Amino acid sequence: MIYLDYSATTPIGFEVLDTYNKTSKDFFGNPNSIHELGVKSKNLMNSATKQIAEIFNINESEITYTSGATMANNLALIGTAMHNHKKGKHIIVSKLEHPSIYAICDYLSSLGFEISYVNNDEEGLIDFDDLKSLTREDTILVSICAVNSELGIRQPLKMIRQKKKKENPHTVFHSDMTQAIGKVSISMHDVDLATFTAHKIYGPKGIGVLYKSNNIAISPILFGSGKMNMLNPGTPAVPLIVALSKAVRLATTDIEKKERFIERLNLKIVDALKKYNGIMINKTKYSIPHILNISLRNIKAETFLHALEEFEVYVSSNTACSSGTLSTSVMAVYNDKVRASSTLRISLSHLTTTDEINKFINYFDEIYRKLSGLHN
Amino acid sequence: MEKVILIKYGELSTKKNNINFFLKKLKENILFALQDFDVEVTYDLGRMFIHTLSPDKVIDRIKNVFGIHEINIGYIIETTELDIVKEEVLFLLNKKEFTTFKVESKRANKKLNTTSIELSKNLGAYILKNKDGLKVDVNNPEILINVEYRMNNTLVYFDEFKGLGGYPVGTLGKGLLMLSGGIDSPVAGYLTIKRGVKIEAIYFESPPHTSLEAKNKVISLARKLALYNNDLILHIVNFTEIQEAIYKNIPHEYLITIMRRMMYRISAIIASQRNAKLLVNGESIGQVASQTLTSMSAINEVVSIPVIRPLACFDKLDIIELAKKIDTYETSILPFEDCCTIFVPKHPVINPSKEKCHEYEKLIPYKDLIYEAIKTHEVKKITAKENNDEFKDLL
Repeated sequence: MIYLDYSATTPIGFEVLDTYNKTSKDFFGNPNSIHELGVKSKNLMNSATKQIAEIFNINESEITYTSGATMANNLALIGTAMHNHKKGKHIIVSKLEHPSIYAICDYLSSLGFEISYVNNDEEGLIDFDDLKSLTREDTILVSICAVNSELGIRQPLKMIRQKKKKENPHTVFHSDMTQAIGKVSISMHDVDLATFTAHKIYGPKGIGVLYKSNNIAISPILFGSGKMNMLNPGTPAVPLIVALSKAVRLATTDIEKKERFIERLNLKIVDALKKYNGIMINKTKYSIPHILNISLRNIKAETFLHALEEFEVYVSSNTACSSGTLSTSVMAVYNDKVRASSTLRISLSHLTTTDEINKFINYFDEIYRKLSGLHN
Repeated sequence: MEKVILIKYGELSTKKNNINFFLKKLKENILFALQDFDVEVTYDLGRMFIHTLSPDKVIDRIKNVFGIHEINIGYIIETTELDIVKEEVLFLLNKKEFTTFKVESKRANKKLNTTSIELSKNLGAYILKNKDGLKVDVNNPEILINVEYRMNNTLVYFDEFKGLGGYPVGTLGKGLLMLSGGIDSPVAGYLTIKRGVKIEAIYFESPPHTSLEAKNKVISLARKLALYNNDLILHIVNFTEIQEAIYKNIPHEYLITIMRRMMYRISAIIASQRNAKLLVNGESIGQVASQTLTSMSAINEVVSIPVIRPLACFDKLDIIELAKKIDTYETSILPFEDCCTIFVPKHPVINPSKEKCHEYEKLIPYKDLIYEAIKTHEVKKITAKENNDEFKDLL
């Protein structure tokens, strides 16, 4: 198998799974219980939280565990909207967000919130002038992903924060960091709210994080007992939390080294694919090397994907969450329907080997010849 | 050009004959705080130098060391030649944003054929000429550029950070802090450490009336203090039997008074065993019934060791502010019962009489109980850095 879909999800790390198993077995006490068994679980959970807080240089109380990035995005966006609806009902998001952000925006829009979509330039970077002109006194929230999931475009969060602050210092700034954590080094201090999930960084599925700066408040949208998890009440998933903490530690170690290695693999593929007339490489200077997006002229991406699948090679068409439609991200950057209608995403990892890439290039060539012949 | 950290002593420089003892201790404490760093520390009577490759992290760490008045980042330029010094200083300043400055020069190297004032003027003029938008302000400059022309090199510094002040821990002996889980006692401990007194702490637990979580809370408070104290020895005394005996046998309005007298007795004995010269606690005049002057007097009479109450004259809000500053507040307000909050009488006596205390204490075999409690008490070494070994393989 050649797995090249690491941005959809990653295989759980052996050590992380080991942590999950051991914690499930040895720390099954409910951290909300006050007896020794419960306290033991709570201490372990607190240590896990502390480790995450230290890695991102944030406060432990700023971390809320969720079921994943989608839930964290829901808590962040809806929670901010509910908390600030008397101050304003205007929200700005980019055109490069994950579909879950748009789904939440649709819901908020049905409640009477007004959503604006900020433009980006041809390199995919947020258009600061447009952001400036869109920001109003009643703008309560700006949400811009740190790294786009389809094209891997990285946004300069610090600069966006400064611009936003100049226009309206009260506007809350959220960033979906799902595709950024573990791939590039990032500062939570550039934002008020951030979200990410474990399964993209070799952790288990079913656990994510909402970072909420202690400088802002949001309304809870879920209610339950216990004082520990105000935004996501209920019995904490201790084994998942501890495994997440370990995954975060491992993923944030040696980031630059891993990135350099992945960059080489990325260039190798680009080098091989750029010779085909029917292939367009959707890469700007802000794309991170972990994500490589291409467009196929005259070949349906899904057909190509299934052809690769016969060789046990796995990639994505558009993103796993939105296949079948035009790629919104490619549209946003290239404004070209043909280009956006058939895209493949090849996503790489430090686990990818040069040998796998060589094989991939050969299979690709074989399939390309076969499928492009059909249309000529 | 080498980056060094410069430490100024402040109050310590008033010590005359034994300043060396203070400085030696300060160096020791700095090395302790930096035990996981590769550093070299040198000093003279005026200041201390730390040579390190990671100055920012080192500064963060030594900001918590008492006895340091001011911290500067200095640059050693390997020459006293004026033209080179000027260029290097300009290079350093180009990384900074400011609008007004002043140059102050010192000339240990009297071979330089000029005065310190001339040197300052000369450098100031050069900076004005080569960096736009600057003004000299001799009274209230945004940055003060200190230049010292030494025998073989030149030292430049302008970035300064405030240190904590106080005396180096351990220069003034040892004290025993009565540490509860509340807001006050950690602050009292902090202030005592600040005056150079190394502390050990004593905590009374009453399982099953008090929980493991209450104990863990005290341990994490002790850990916060350990940061300033070069680790900390915590004495954990099981107080259950004494407390139950008091509750069963003594009129309830005197519960707190007698309980405190027992705690004082135990603390004084452990203090003398550990060679601590004083007891420290977080009492503040009038805060609760046991902290009226009559109460303090009735409780204090059972010991002859000096009892220091650093917070005696502090308002509660000021104490809270300090607790927040030293990061103990959030832990202190966690809602776990400690042995001062269980068995609380409805109407504790505000003006207890010593005679009644003597009379009531005869009702329980307190000497035996105290002996037993001290004999079996737990001694725990608390390090400033949490020992996560327990979970290490999981995390």
